Amino acid sequence: MKGPSEHVDSINKSISEWLQPDNKILQESIERTVDEGLFSFEDIKHQILALKYALKPANIEQWIRQSGIKPNSLANRTVLCLHAGNLPLVGLQDLLAVIISGANYAGKLSKKDPYLLKSLIRTLDKQRLVKQIQCSTELEVLYGVRPDAWLFSGSEKNATAVENLLIEQGAINPDSPSLIRTAFYSAAYIDNLANETMAHLTEAVFRYGGAGCRSVAVVVSPFGLNENKCEFTDYIESFWLKNPQHQNPPKSLEHRFAMNKSIGVNQAWLNDFIIEEGAEVPGKKFILTWLVGDFSAFSQFVTDNKRGLQSVYSTADYIGNYAGDSVIEPLSAAQKPPIWWRPDNIDTLSWLHENISCEDP
Amino acid sequence: MSLTDPENQIFDPQTPFLKRFEGVYAFQYKKNRVYRAFLNALGYTNQEHFRPGNIPLLPVRAFKYGSILPEGYTADLIFRSSGTSAMKRSTHGIVSTDIYEKSITTEFYRHFPKENHIILALLPGYEDNPDSSLIWMVRHLISRDSSGLSRFIRQDTQFSKEWITELALSGKKVLLFGAAFGLIDFMSRTNPFESLKIEIIETGGMKTHKREMSKEELRERISDHFGIKPSEIHSEYGMCELHSQMYAIGSVWFSAPHWVTVSIRDAENPERECEPGEEGKIGIIDLANIYSCPFIITGDRGVMNENGQFQVLGRWDSDNMRGCNFLIDAET
Repeated sequence: MKGPSEHVDSINKSISEWLQPDNKILQESIERTVDEGLFSFEDIKHQILALKYALKPANIEQWIRQSGIKPNSLANRTVLCLHAGNLPLVGLQDLLAVIISGANYAGKLSKKDPYLLKSLIRTLDKQRLVKQIQCSTELEVLYGVRPDAWLFSGSEKNATAVENLLIEQGAINPDSPSLIRTAFYSAAYIDNLANETMAHLTEAVFRYGGAGCRSVAVVVSPFGLNENKCEFTDYIESFWLKNPQHQNPPKSLEHRFAMNKSIGVNQAWLNDFIIEEGAEVPGKKFILTWLVGDFSAFSQFVTDNKRGLQSVYSTADYIGNYAGDSVIEPLSAAQKPPIWWRPDNIDTLSWLHENISCEDP
Repeated sequence: MSLTDPENQIFDPQTPFLKRFEGVYAFQYKKNRVYRAFLNALGYTNQEHFRPGNIPLLPVRAFKYGSILPEGYTADLIFRSSGTSAMKRSTHGIVSTDIYEKSITTEFYRHFPKENHIILALLPGYEDNPDSSLIWMVRHLISRDSSGLSRFIRQDTQFSKEWITELALSGKKVLLFGAAFGLIDFMSRTNPFESLKIEIIETGGMKTHKREMSKEELRERISDHFGIKPSEIHSEYGMCELHSQMYAIGSVWFSAPHWVTVSIRDAENPERECEPGEEGKIGIIDLANIYSCPFIITGDRGVMNENGQFQVLGRWDSDNMRGCNFLIDAET
């Protein structure tokens, strides 16, 4: 069995190989993903570029140090990961956490993103870091895995349904530790309309079609929508020229626009998106909610909407401060988080360390 | 057609539904600023010839922004949906109490004739809930029972032998009317109605303060506790934003009164009607809503059967949300 340093070195080597521009395995997986219309080339490119920085050996090292885990300490354990497919490579952090821990990785790949993560798994497999047979887009293939723990991201309702199915199939022990993440949108406080702020806000809202849980779905600002609508729209148009919207909204969005108009809700119609002032259920796809308020209103929003809210962002003056009990992250990092970012405020690596015993059963 | 004709025809079963629908639609387009603006924003004008299956339905959420009244009309009564202080509550202005009463009694007495039933309403009283359309409706039905035996009851109401005897001697059936969670709490005590013929009407609210329960489980528990057949357990489906109610008689399948058409609409394209068996959002054309908005799409998930009856499957709200949604139906 490899020692901790040797284990991490193997992982870093695999990541480096995977991210090489001439890596045919990765290139092919990108081409297939784009050809099959699963994600846009621009979004995949953005994700890979963000990962190139996030997965530098020094950052991996920092993540391990912060978590307190001893790499490769869970070598006799198996962790099942159920990956969602709303963003390219969205399950990568879970995969790496399991690999760093040394546990056997078993992964249910999303049918919406079956190639990209698999290309990394294949590269990790070369270093014997993963058993390739234990990853599939078909859940039933993994029924025999008998994991010691399982990781899941999705809605509370789906989490219950998946858990019941896995228990029914005898695929998990009902007492196995599970890490279930259910947050699905993020919010930002914007108190200036500077060029840089608007550019970062545009990226934070519209990257990946706004579909990610780190995507900004709610803005709280002292400025009303009408005060910046034209300027903001210019940034959005410019963003979409470079990053065409991959997924188009359903016709029901037109009905929402029509209803808003009929009852006098202030809004901006962007064909593929609506920005609307005030809404009682934030976080729906293709809708950015704009709330007029000061910083205390933002804090109140964060406190009132803990359920479902992933991250909160703002500009330089507020980074590191608290809104409610959430620490404010840089708006500019919304779509390029560090590898140690904590989905639902839980560090996956620390969770594995604290919830799975490394002793033999 | 004058503007008063559609109102007169709403409850006339001899007039084909389509004719009544066209009359109400013409009135709405002319007088309802909100609904007209909704259609115009979708690119429609008064030249359209909509049918009940494809007419654009106003999202029920619109009522959260205030009463929707035709120009020149004012409300006699105001109902508000339940909700917490953090939520916006719907407001429904009732212009004609006569229409509201007629929609309530016509359908209720079709299923539960007045002369055969006593209502015991296991619901909060009107004084505590003056905004609730359900409480108003039940209070109205109780007030029309000339026997004086119908009334509101509470979880801790004591049923004396004399009272039970009086109910039994009336020769009428007792209809116990309550929300699902209220009925569940009520079932924690001994059944006081053992010697009576009773039927149950539950009004929804499956998500209790303890846990969510399926309709089937609720029906089974009610049947066991009260010792009655499933065919004697009924459901009522109504909402603050509608004048009319629908009933599922002895089953989970609802049917609508003759002045109401229910369709299941594709949540992604609300102008498309779903096929029987296909889940979608419940769309309702309630002609009795002539003086608010009769063309409404709810936030409820439903499905239609081949007989034109529908089932309410819960809220639609968790779909179309952002984030890492591992959708079991799509992924397994």
